Amino acid sequence: MNRRHVMTLENVGAAMVAVLVIIAIFAPWLAPHDPTIVVAPTFGDPGTPSLAFPMGTDELGRDVLSRIIFGARISLTVGVAAMAVTMTIGVAIGLCAGFFGGAVDFLLMRFTDVMLSLPALLLAMAFVAVLRPSLLTILLVIGLVSWTQIARVVRAETLTMSSRDFVIGALALGAPPRRLIARHIFPNVLPIIIVMAALGTSGTLLLDAALSFLGLGVPPPTPSWGRMIEEATIYFRTAPWLATFPGLAIFYAVLSFNLLGYGFLRRRSQ
Amino acid sequence: MLIYLVRRIVFGAAVLVGTSLITFLIAFVVPADPAIAMAGAKADPQTLASIRRELRLDQPLYVQYSRYVERAVRGDLGRSYIRRENVTRLIADRLPATAILAASAMAVSLILGIAMGALAAAYRGRATDNLLLVISLALVSIPVFWLGTMLLIAVAATMRSFPLGGYSGAASLVLPTITLALGSAGYYSRVLHTSLSDAFDQDYVRTARGKGLSPARVMLRHAMANALLPLVTLAGLDLAGLLSGVVLTETVFNWPGIGRLAAEAIFNLDIPVIMGTVLFSAFLIVVINLLVDLLYAYLDPRIRLAESV
Amino acid sequence: MKFVLAKYRGSTLMLYALAVTFAFGCGGGPPPLNLAPGAMILRLADADDIPTLDPAAGYDTVSWTFEQAIFDTLVRYGDGNIELEPDIATTWESSPDATVFTFHMRHDARFSDGRPVTSADFRYGVERVLDPATRSKGMEYYRGIRGSADFIAHRATHLSGIETPDSWTIIFHLSAPDPIFAHKLAMPFASAIPRDVAEKWGDDFSRHVVGSGAFMLMEWIGGQRLVLVRNPFYFAKPLPHLDAIVESVGVNQELQWLRFDAGQIDAVIDIPPAEFPYVMKTPALRKLTLAKTTVTTRYLGMNCQMWPFTDLRVRRAISYAIDRHKLIALLNGRGIVARSVMPPNLPGYDPNLKGYDYDPAKARALLEEAHLGAGFKFEIWMRADQTGLMLAQSIQQDLAPLGIQVELKPVAWGPFLEAIRQPHTAQAFMQGWEADFPDPENFLGALLSRAQWGANNDSFYSNPNVEKLLREASPEADLTKRYALYDQAEKQVVADAPWVFLYYPVTYIIRQPWVNDYVINPMRPTRFEHISLSPHPQ
Repeated sequence: MNRRHVMTLENVGAAMVAVLVIIAIFAPWLAPHDPTIVVAPTFGDPGTPSLAFPMGTDELGRDVLSRIIFGARISLTVGVAAMAVTMTIGVAIGLCAGFFGGAVDFLLMRFTDVMLSLPALLLAMAFVAVLRPSLLTILLVIGLVSWTQIARVVRAETLTMSSRDFVIGALALGAPPRRLIARHIFPNVLPIIIVMAALGTSGTLLLDAALSFLGLGVPPPTPSWGRMIEEATIYFRTAPWLATFPGLAIFYAVLSFNLLGYGFLRRRSQ
Repeated sequence: MLIYLVRRIVFGAAVLVGTSLITFLIAFVVPADPAIAMAGAKADPQTLASIRRELRLDQPLYVQYSRYVERAVRGDLGRSYIRRENVTRLIADRLPATAILAASAMAVSLILGIAMGALAAAYRGRATDNLLLVISLALVSIPVFWLGTMLLIAVAATMRSFPLGGYSGAASLVLPTITLALGSAGYYSRVLHTSLSDAFDQDYVRTARGKGLSPARVMLRHAMANALLPLVTLAGLDLAGLLSGVVLTETVFNWPGIGRLAAEAIFNLDIPVIMGTVLFSAFLIVVINLLVDLLYAYLDPRIRLAESV
Repeated sequence: MKFVLAKYRGSTLMLYALAVTFAFGCGGGPPPLNLAPGAMILRLADADDIPTLDPAAGYDTVSWTFEQAIFDTLVRYGDGNIELEPDIATTWESSPDATVFTFHMRHDARFSDGRPVTSADFRYGVERVLDPATRSKGMEYYRGIRGSADFIAHRATHLSGIETPDSWTIIFHLSAPDPIFAHKLAMPFASAIPRDVAEKWGDDFSRHVVGSGAFMLMEWIGGQRLVLVRNPFYFAKPLPHLDAIVESVGVNQELQWLRFDAGQIDAVIDIPPAEFPYVMKTPALRKLTLAKTTVTTRYLGMNCQMWPFTDLRVRRAISYAIDRHKLIALLNGRGIVARSVMPPNLPGYDPNLKGYDYDPAKARALLEEAHLGAGFKFEIWMRADQTGLMLAQSIQQDLAPLGIQVELKPVAWGPFLEAIRQPHTAQAFMQGWEADFPDPENFLGALLSRAQWGANNDSFYSNPNVEKLLREASPEADLTKRYALYDQAEKQVVADAPWVFLYYPVTYIIRQPWVNDYVINPMRPTRFEHISLSPHPQ
């Protein structure tokens, strides 16, 4: 029970994330082909996996492996950027609600309740459909629908912190709230924020994949894992690998952030 | 107790007003001209103009909002642009299918989640616990639509006569239920595991163990009961998350439910249906949250007693 | 202890409730079909629900499929061809100047509730379409009837241009000559509608339709299935042969195919692309297919008012640069390369028009001439459907080597139409046009005339020569002269290249060997009246 494992959850997660980031950054060098041009001899028919094309080719003759590698760029970009938006909004709301309490807390929490009673995916779909899909729209929209959990957690932590004697005392002595939040509260809330960031990224990744699957993601020919699965659904009987590989990629990415976040969470509570 | 009830209902109503504002906002951020959506591609400008006049879209926003709310309260959610049907009727037609899918997925995910969580907690710290932890995390990481597609592939390749998609009785319910339930199962198993672990550290459990009772018996009689209620109420409160999963599952399996209705409406920018389905989901969530809160309050004397103080 | 058990009870209560719902669900599903055993039932399936059964509202293939089974028009197209033949009208004539059309109706047509069909029912049908409250998509086809402007503006309660001297005669007076007006009465918009039923149900008429066609509505469970049964009062006895038609909804293409393969449905209207090569390679399946060349042209429209497509050379360059054979390959061969505006089945089609063959060298030369040899960027607006996206990506690939960067903008129908109808929003767009009636006016006039700027002429194309020819041709009743004039106009349009003519789609239908007399009509969905089924397993 006291052995120090190297293979802790967060280490495995961190390693997986690192691999993902490397793939995304070095995509042009790692991918064997250009993901948007025709490279396969068969056009109009998906090609089975072979030595030349380890993950097969899609109906437009493009190499699936290359598309998956480049897809990592879009997924990571959207996932991380959307998470940043989520964090910003959620932390701000949570801090304010927890620290100021009273009417501010009440209003912010009712607003959070409103957001919570709208299914995130439906809301995101509606906004993206209305605003026309582009990279910026998608990451903003995903960020806007995902902040409720962060807000609640940060609020809870802030409440605990705020009720500490030294905070009450400092307020009574006239210390400016902003400084208190920045100097004392925020650093103590930071650990939970890091955990939520990791877990939040897995959420935004899943939401982005879902939006792409429903046809509301980044427009083609930019490879996006979710859209690749959507394009592959009609071939589910004749070319099942087309749907399998992008899904595995999404699974890998989401799992890596979940392991990372959950590992941190467990470490914190130990 | 009564005060608690009233307060909760008032909050619920306020939340509903807020959601109606947001859904209305969506409708008016839309750049699309509803006349075109209704009249179709080949309509000439004269036809479009007369349709616009009929729909009275020239009125100020707040007037249109109040008309909408007034009708919504009476159960009239307008008419679909694309289908000319009553939105309420469209939703009512499809509600049973979604309800059954959601209920069975909820049941399966709870059963599975509880089993996994209890098992992991019973063998806390050992290999089984770690294995179940990884499995839970894996389940939570699988994209719902991918899982559904993979199941379709697997079944289509092996069982020719198994119903694939559409709602036609018990057998067709199996695949969509599994798809929808696995992710939640992973989530619930972790929640149960956490609360069971907390319970294990409580004094009364230690006392029981000290008395020589076996771990399983201790767990079942003492820890589980305490840990189960928060889990089940959490499941009820997670309805919003379930509805998101429902949209994807219904799309993959062509399930004739509200999720697919909403997805189609969003794709076609059929504003009345989008607003209707979003508002309706919010309504369901608020109502179920209310019921769950009340049930929890009733069963947990601490809250009941606190209120009457 | 009691407290503990109380909590336990609460949660078990919840689980119990869920289990009960689950068990209920297992036995659930759509209610059983109440049809006589041994009935001849045609079973079909579709992914999406039928949009509407109201003839005034429907304007898509699925709605028309069932509308034409439930309702009758004065005239209709023959099985398999585009000649007008009698439906409820037995004879008809038009005045020499094509402004007065007289129809004589049969006396024995009845609605499915027993009431006879009279001229008043056709009058009501057309007035209903023109009434702005109905928001009908067919309004524009009947504006040519005299008095329509007054009727639409609510200045008159009846359409003065429709005369019904007796119950079996109906006369249409037009404000301008229209030699093809009779074709407009073959569209389901002009069906006979029972006024009392339509007024009783108002906007819900679609769910409670009553018509005089071969079939009547038995039940329609939204999102699940539509069932039509034989109309006992149908005038063309002994038709229909079928007792009932059942359309299951929510079955996507792949699943339709699987069900067809298992013998559970009788026809698949559009063979899924994943299965198509296999079907064509298997002789037993191949002979069950029917090819339907729809009267449709798919094109890449270029906005002649926006850079860079104001320059004819650029438009021609793009036309030369796109490989349409590749598009046909992507469609598994389900299309014909387009070389002109009008598709092959349309009367007036000119097979001698050559269009622009794939020639990247010529494209490059033209771009150099236009000082765009280094390439440029432009946007293609389109609907977000899978096939379209696939083809658009092929176009992207074709243009990339010339330095042309194409950005795709897939949007929903509403925003798409809005955008392309603005003169300065969309540089290019993917569109298709299906003929409403078999005449060149429906393509050249509707899509390429100056009057249609901001409506259907989304390339904002205009050529004074073409305008003159169109004005001359439209009232011309002599078909030879008429088609010759339109042909000249089309030649000019092809030379001006406002569109890249992509392809004419061909759909492949497959039906079971026990389905008889399933006839393809290029302009309409297949009619159900003549279909019969031989005995078969299932």
